[in-house]
Amino acid sequence: MRKVWQSDWFGPFAITLLAIVIVGVANPSFLSPFNIQILLLAISVNAMIAFSQMIIIAIGQMNLSVGAIGGLAAISFGGMMEVWGIPWPIAAILALMIGLLAGIANGAFVAFTGISAFVITLASLSVFKGINLGITEAQPFYKVPETVKALGNETFLHPLPWLVIPAVLVAVLLWYMLFRLPLGRNILAVGGNTHAAELSGISVPQIVTVAHAISGFLAALAGIMLVGRLQLGQPTIGDDWLILSFAAPVIGGAILTGGKVSVAGTFLGVAIVAIITQVLVLFNIDPFLVQVVLGGLILWAVGMNRWREVRAERQAVAAGT
Amino acid sequence: MIGYRCLIAAGVALAAVPSLALADESTRVALVPGGPHPYFAAWEQAGADAAAEFGLGAADYKVPQKWELGLQNQMLESLVTQGYNAFLVFPGDPVGTVAIADELADTGAPVMALAGCLKDPSNAVFCMGTDTGNSAYLGTKELLAVLGEGAKIAHFTGFLVDPNTQLRIDAVEQAATEGGAEVIQVIADIDAPEPAEEKINAYLAAHADDVDGIITTAWVPAVVASNALRKIGDKRIQMVGIDHDEVVLGAIKDGFVHGTMLQNPYGQGYIGSFAADKLRSGCTVKADALFKSNALTEKFIDSGTVFAGVDDVDNYVASMQSITEELFGTFEATYLDC
Amino acid sequence: MSLMVSPDRADEGAGAARDTGEAPERELGPNAPLRFLLSNEFGLIILIILFAVIFSTLSPAFLSKFSLYALGRNAAVNIMIGFSMMVVIITGGLNLSVGSIGVTSAMFGGWLMQALGVPWVLGLLGGLAMGAALGAINGVIIVRSGLHSFIITLATMSIFFGVMIFLTQAESYREISPTLAGFGRLKILSVLSPLLVTSVVVGIALSVLFRFTALGREMLASGANPHAAELSGIRVERMISYCHMLSGMLAALAGLMLVSRTGAAIPSMAGQLGQDWLLPAFLGPVLGGTLLTGGRVSVLGTLLGAFLVTMLTSGLLLMQVGAFWVQTYLGLLLLAAVLLDLARRSYLAQRKLV
Repeated sequence: MRKVWQSDWFGPFAITLLAIVIVGVANPSFLSPFNIQILLLAISVNAMIAFSQMIIIAIGQMNLSVGAIGGLAAISFGGMMEVWGIPWPIAAILALMIGLLAGIANGAFVAFTGISAFVITLASLSVFKGINLGITEAQPFYKVPETVKALGNETFLHPLPWLVIPAVLVAVLLWYMLFRLPLGRNILAVGGNTHAAELSGISVPQIVTVAHAISGFLAALAGIMLVGRLQLGQPTIGDDWLILSFAAPVIGGAILTGGKVSVAGTFLGVAIVAIITQVLVLFNIDPFLVQVVLGGLILWAVGMNRWREVRAERQAVAAGT
Repeated sequence: MIGYRCLIAAGVALAAVPSLALADESTRVALVPGGPHPYFAAWEQAGADAAAEFGLGAADYKVPQKWELGLQNQMLESLVTQGYNAFLVFPGDPVGTVAIADELADTGAPVMALAGCLKDPSNAVFCMGTDTGNSAYLGTKELLAVLGEGAKIAHFTGFLVDPNTQLRIDAVEQAATEGGAEVIQVIADIDAPEPAEEKINAYLAAHADDVDGIITTAWVPAVVASNALRKIGDKRIQMVGIDHDEVVLGAIKDGFVHGTMLQNPYGQGYIGSFAADKLRSGCTVKADALFKSNALTEKFIDSGTVFAGVDDVDNYVASMQSITEELFGTFEATYLDC
Repeated sequence: MSLMVSPDRADEGAGAARDTGEAPERELGPNAPLRFLLSNEFGLIILIILFAVIFSTLSPAFLSKFSLYALGRNAAVNIMIGFSMMVVIITGGLNLSVGSIGVTSAMFGGWLMQALGVPWVLGLLGGLAMGAALGAINGVIIVRSGLHSFIITLATMSIFFGVMIFLTQAESYREISPTLAGFGRLKILSVLSPLLVTSVVVGIALSVLFRFTALGREMLASGANPHAAELSGIRVERMISYCHMLSGMLAALAGLMLVSRTGAAIPSMAGQLGQDWLLPAFLGPVLGGTLLTGGRVSVLGTLLGAFLVTMLTSGLLLMQVGAFWVQTYLGLLLLAAVLLDLARRSYLAQRKLV
């Protein structure tokens, strides 16, 4: 029982539950099937964005180009279907490949030049965004196939939308990889203590590249999902992903120096942010305040994580370890 | 869309024949919007047609990368260096753009505010655009005509930096008050797909039952709202949109949207290029020209607006064409001294 | 600080700590000319001249009075933004909120001038004070929590911008004092903008700060090796807070310069959440040779770097590259700059050993 209490995801879970109950009582339309559908659509896409950053936080780095990769994949997806008439499953796979390659490029540069991920991804963010704008000239691709639009908006079991499926699938696969497979253990090891990981035989450059590749892939997936939901290949997709991509993992208990992330926590972090955003609209609160709330959440979450870290250290010292 | 432009070009070219004698090949016009947006797409063709018909050196459509004043300023500065000598500009900000407009005018180039006005005093020769306040007013009246007394309407509109947004908000409010209706929600700054999608859907999810009608006074919200009403499906909520996106026109034909207020981007670009060339060839603006005035400027030329309902949708092109022809036919005589 | 440098570069950081401060070429007499030639600053000067020649050949109007004037004016703002980030980089940290602070301070100044009708001097001072205050908030949170400046300034970027947008309801202040608006349009000898002069003056002041004052040297020492600095009696936490405060003030100055240039205080002047300033904020210092690990600064380098970037942007637009491809080139430039810098430093390091 104590383990559940102290686990990363319990806090966010409790908050989410509390929020749902309070808001549901205050405004019953919050729990209407239509609203739940909208909420789940937002959560599904945002979860992908959060996971994309989470895997990089796990190795103790940061990926500023998450949004740019997502945007590039999104317009590639839209463009391939509209301009070259490629059927959507193939276009989707190709767009995912683009994300994967972008991630590999990021990872390779970081791993083999030793330059910080911050600078590399700041540069790559501009390059990817620039390519996006150069191709689209800021005009969206309007012709999205009906199937894609349906997958992006419709439900398969009212009120669960189709988009929930990739989100949950990815969450489960990530959890399994991080906590049950050697690759995942290595990723967390590199994040926790890179030197020690190196000494124990892990190829740090390889792990870094793989992590960035996964990040790019997930960012691309988020972009594709958004094309379905927005029904447009919109070039500005990804412009506002930066804060969210950090907020959710951090609320879920991730430590930025690396080595410690929680998949369930991140997922719940996404849910909390989505609920708060909706609440602001529901109660006609000025939508500009969303930014303030997100920033405040990040500060609170990192503060909490830090406090827990410090407390755990003290306990370890006291126990004579 | 192709037919639209050819028709207008043909009709207007006939009226332009007497003016060709004074055309100036060294005139290079730049048409510069505030940022990327589907509304201005018509400017590109309008400029190309004007250049071809009046023998201009160029009438090029140049778009800044993003809706940001700094980028528009840099673009305009660069265009001066590139040799453009006449500017048709949609102000990135009604006051913020006055500075660059004055600098452009100092180089001797005629500067016109198009589709959105600069706040007086400025060195722009005049402002030509839709009387957006009037358009929003008429649109709201059309909406109220199909709703009952005491209707509750929501208003979705454009960027806050767009000079027209506040004019539209005020006009809708006025029309509502006069018609005994109430504007229960205004959502602004959503003239882009992602925020429009997010906010309009969230609003309708929460408050669809409180709303009887929707008036949209910006392109993208009109498109998004049309799709949203189509998704809801019950045709209970009435809507009047704006501009001529296929999505909106289709929704009108299928009965989800009552009608749309058409604007005249092609006419603005075409006539604007013509006027710019004239001003560079020695004409001046008449001192006593009959300008209209709006909240921003005293030198306003109305480029026309008209309501298109389900019966007019298929011929909307013709409606706009006749307005452009009419405006062009009397333009030189009314506003210029040559 | 471990977020900034990968572990296998840790020795590089230590190496940087050894030569704290500016212009190490002063210490190595015989190699001084060679070092200057290989130095970042000289390289930038060469690049600026090179590109000026290229662009003016492609388009003679590039050297026209109007073009040079506009270039100088745009560079002035980029230089200031670069300075704002530079003073935080020397502590080994980051300030993602430069854009947010810049916009918020400028809007505050605008509000003072429009809503309260104060004269432009007070509006300016108010804006600068706001910038210093917001920077101080960043500094205090960072120092107190011990958390990395990246995540803190990521959060505050959001908070500052959100509060500003909420208070102003995203509306611009358009009744700015005419003196201030006129300043931005002034032309000295038809080619020089007083805004550029302002940036250069601030640059000189910063140079003096870091080279000749104890405060500046302590700031650099705190960034180079906080432990050693603490042991030698420097109050590291206070220095870091001062750096952030200075950063906020410089960001505010950049925002106010933009207000002067446009004659209005517009909330979108730095993009959503102030994100648009991030790239220029890093390009200037990184091109200019300010190490991201902290402890080293090159004010002249930052100035030249920001100037070069502005020139390249202007040139790309001129060559009809299309406004839409500019960002790609700037990203590639940043990448090339850090790679070259890496190569240059390892080359120099090798020579030191030899």
